[in-house]
Amino acid sequence: MALADYKRDMEGCSRCSSCKWVPFNQIKSWRFAKNCPSICRYNFHAYSGSGRMIIANSILEGRSELNEAVAEIVYRCQLCGACDTACKVYRDDIDLTEVLLELRAFCVESGELLVEHMAVIDALKREDNVLGEPKERRGEWAAGLPLKDINRETCEVFFHAGCRYSYDPDLRDTLRGAVSLLLDAGVEVGIAGAEESCCGGRAYELGYRGEAANYADDLLSRVKASGARTLVTACADGYAHLRYLYPRMGKELPCEVLHITQYLDRLLAGGRLRLRNSLPTLFTYHDPCHLGRMGEPFLSDWKGDKLERPMSLKRAGRKGVYEEPRRLLRALPGAGLAEMERIREYAWCCGAGGGVLEAFPDFALWTAAERLEEALASGAEALATACPWCVRAFRDTASQAGIDLPVYDLIDLAVTAAGISVPAPA
Amino acid sequence: MSETAAKTFGTISEEAYRDLEEAVGPENASREPGVLDGYAWQPTNNDHPTERWVKRPVAVVLPGSTAEVQAVVRACNRHGLKFKAFSTGWGVWCGPTYDNVVQVDLRRMNRILEIDEKNMYAVVEPYAIAAQIQAEVMKKGLNLHIHGSGPNCSPLASATSGWGVGHDSIYMSYSPRNVLGAEWVLPDGEVLRLGAPGSGLGWFSGDGPGPSLRGVMRGSAGALSGLGIFTKCALKLYNWPGPPRIETEGCLLDARSEIPENMGFYLCAFPDRASFLEAVLKMGEAEIGYNALRTATAAYLNVMTPRLFKRLTDTKAIRDLMGKTLEYTIMMVLAANSREELDYQAGSLLSIVEDAGGIALDMSTQKPFVRMALMGFVRATIPALVFRIGGSFNTALDRNDALDTQENWRDACLAIKEEWISKGGILDDMGDNPYYVPYENNMWAHCEVVYQFDHRKPEHRAALEPIFLDFTIAALEQCMEPMFSSDPRVRAIIGPLAGGFNRWQREVSKALDPGEAADSTLYCGEGAFDLSAVDGAKVKRLNELIEKLKPEA
Repeated sequence: MALADYKRDMEGCSRCSSCKWVPFNQIKSWRFAKNCPSICRYNFHAYSGSGRMIIANSILEGRSELNEAVAEIVYRCQLCGACDTACKVYRDDIDLTEVLLELRAFCVESGELLVEHMAVIDALKREDNVLGEPKERRGEWAAGLPLKDINRETCEVFFHAGCRYSYDPDLRDTLRGAVSLLLDAGVEVGIAGAEESCCGGRAYELGYRGEAANYADDLLSRVKASGARTLVTACADGYAHLRYLYPRMGKELPCEVLHITQYLDRLLAGGRLRLRNSLPTLFTYHDPCHLGRMGEPFLSDWKGDKLERPMSLKRAGRKGVYEEPRRLLRALPGAGLAEMERIREYAWCCGAGGGVLEAFPDFALWTAAERLEEALASGAEALATACPWCVRAFRDTASQAGIDLPVYDLIDLAVTAAGISVPAPA
Repeated sequence: MSETAAKTFGTISEEAYRDLEEAVGPENASREPGVLDGYAWQPTNNDHPTERWVKRPVAVVLPGSTAEVQAVVRACNRHGLKFKAFSTGWGVWCGPTYDNVVQVDLRRMNRILEIDEKNMYAVVEPYAIAAQIQAEVMKKGLNLHIHGSGPNCSPLASATSGWGVGHDSIYMSYSPRNVLGAEWVLPDGEVLRLGAPGSGLGWFSGDGPGPSLRGVMRGSAGALSGLGIFTKCALKLYNWPGPPRIETEGCLLDARSEIPENMGFYLCAFPDRASFLEAVLKMGEAEIGYNALRTATAAYLNVMTPRLFKRLTDTKAIRDLMGKTLEYTIMMVLAANSREELDYQAGSLLSIVEDAGGIALDMSTQKPFVRMALMGFVRATIPALVFRIGGSFNTALDRNDALDTQENWRDACLAIKEEWISKGGILDDMGDNPYYVPYENNMWAHCEVVYQFDHRKPEHRAALEPIFLDFTIAALEQCMEPMFSSDPRVRAIIGPLAGGFNRWQREVSKALDPGEAADSTLYCGEGAFDLSAVDGAKVKRLNELIEKLKPEA
């Protein structure tokens, strides 16, 4: 697809500005009524979903040109998808996120690149991860755990760790906890270790399509070789890309793809995960964009008039993973759940996605701080979430902005409640 | 920017732009073409129907205070520029009509400044949208009038500058009645406070103590920023007998709301026009109803289940059932302070409907529907679905007038729409699609006939101006002063026949805007229909009517 292939979507914009707001039925206060970090931070219409579609249309019609200033507007967006789900409350024929992704690719093809994004891509090419960490150290997090090596053995569950979890020293124990929960339940788990690569989703979001396809091919071949019937990942970013982007690129994995919260939910329901220890805390839950609205499975590459597209194939954000994390949270003995105002498919973003953390860290921090304010307003004592990028963004922001709100990964809470011992790294 | 493209658009001098930057801060001004085009895309209600873009502004500014608005307006006066303000930016009336316009985007002025629970008003800025204000005032047992455009729009803009009926008009009337004082930056940059705030006595009254210029300020249709910029206003609040927050799952058509026990929902259907009118008038006399909307069953199905609608309406019997059998219906939403009061209201309603020979379906018992539709009524979340089937809509000229005259208008519009549906000029909604609300004891009503189109289709764009001319002729046939006389083409025809209101508008504009800084085309400009391709019989009829209705010298 090319940008011009979405002209009809762009022209469909009625400029109603629904893309800037939480779906109107769900507006519960003045303070937390808005859904798009970008337009909230920068205010000009160009920074909204609608505005970016108009920019794209303007360029295609030769009314304006792509330049550095316009490209920066395109990049100052987390690609969180909130505009898309709000638009789709009313519209069937506009795939706003797809336009935004195409616009990114158009910027890259046109040579309007950000240095910070190029650094991410260079890191990917060099070390197969977006953080630029040494490739040979990718599997260190698993040292000493009784996991199968899918490069040599077959396994029941292929566990994909993801870049952030693999290298972030704060989050490695979380990852060890995740696989320990699976092992404790008797699941046979395999990993790629040092051979694991990035899923490529971040490259796609930054507009580098070729790189994304290469990484998809790599993972596809590993999954085939592993013989695994299920791939589990703890990375919400990776989950969305495996569920949506890979099939969209024609590279669907030959196995079931689950987020760790989905798998733990199954274990819980089957009695193979027992949460015994009390965690008497009132939590609020942050829906990661890539696990929620962006985590919807790929439904169809509809070629015809989108006004004729069956509703079941409309990507409206409702088929994301919302219930499983909440069931896990509610199952924690003594824990309570206080919902924020913006949840599920209309949740506010953590700010880290779409290359914003790398290129515009002040904007990422501002976005996360807004979410932490909302979490505090819910009355919760702590925030739980299920994405390493969100955890990192919230912890860093709370620390820098002096916001007193503990931030937990759901995996850590499950490990604590299950009372299992996670072996220390060998 | 290519040379070719640059010739197409207006430009701004360095000095003028520096002044704008100084007025609002450099981060709140832009002249980047891509950014400016964000303000030029207006496919809905474009005043040039074959176009989707309006004039591109030469710059956009985001003032954050009244003082910054004043500074922007004064800079425009100094540099021979025009200004055009908007709040949420939906519709062509928000965009420039000249080549030298500075777009004033009021997005940063978004606060609810005060909610006076005791005196039942809220003071708001332009970008506080209806849904936000409602969410806050409901916590205090209050509600506000939301005009039919819906919860994403600015109540200040409607109250001070344009039209303003809604589902709730049966209980809260329409926007001109709901403005209690306003802060107005005049076209020369001076600030005028109308109503009680003009005397520094708070915001409780729009008509004094202090100057009352409500008629000049907005008149019938509003000046649409053609007479300056409103930076604050007080809105009347009303009783809300429901809960502080309506608990709702889902976003719109998948919504499931908790239904307050003291609300009732009745779909009333009548056998004919006379019985419908008789019943609605009696409902007004009985002073019952919290929301009321005359429903065209087909129109609802059209936007809620468009694919199914297409298939159903290919079946003549079903088409007749929806169009004829359910022709005279109205949805009545009741809200009361107690179960006893609700019983009284419901009893009155059922008695009136029965006396008129109609039937009333108690939709409260139809949980899937009413749980989905509750917010659609109370927060007016459904109207934007009108975009669903083609992306654009327009309305016939429409008016606020006596209840029975609205039926004539509806009939006339139906005939015009059926003709254009059959020609493929607009989308098929079965024709009968009025946004029809009774108010002020139901002596008055507003009938805004909707037609939908897909502006991506050239044949639809080509049809828009001829359709508008047809509605204009129909309005003249009925001696009607149409609400959409804000359209320069319609104003030029209707104005001289209706007391010369266009001349008075020009005089007001001249007096308040000596520097001609406001973009006032939609307030008092005049234009002409392109009659070159119009059926000769229609042109002849238009001229006959103009001659017939011309006031005697």
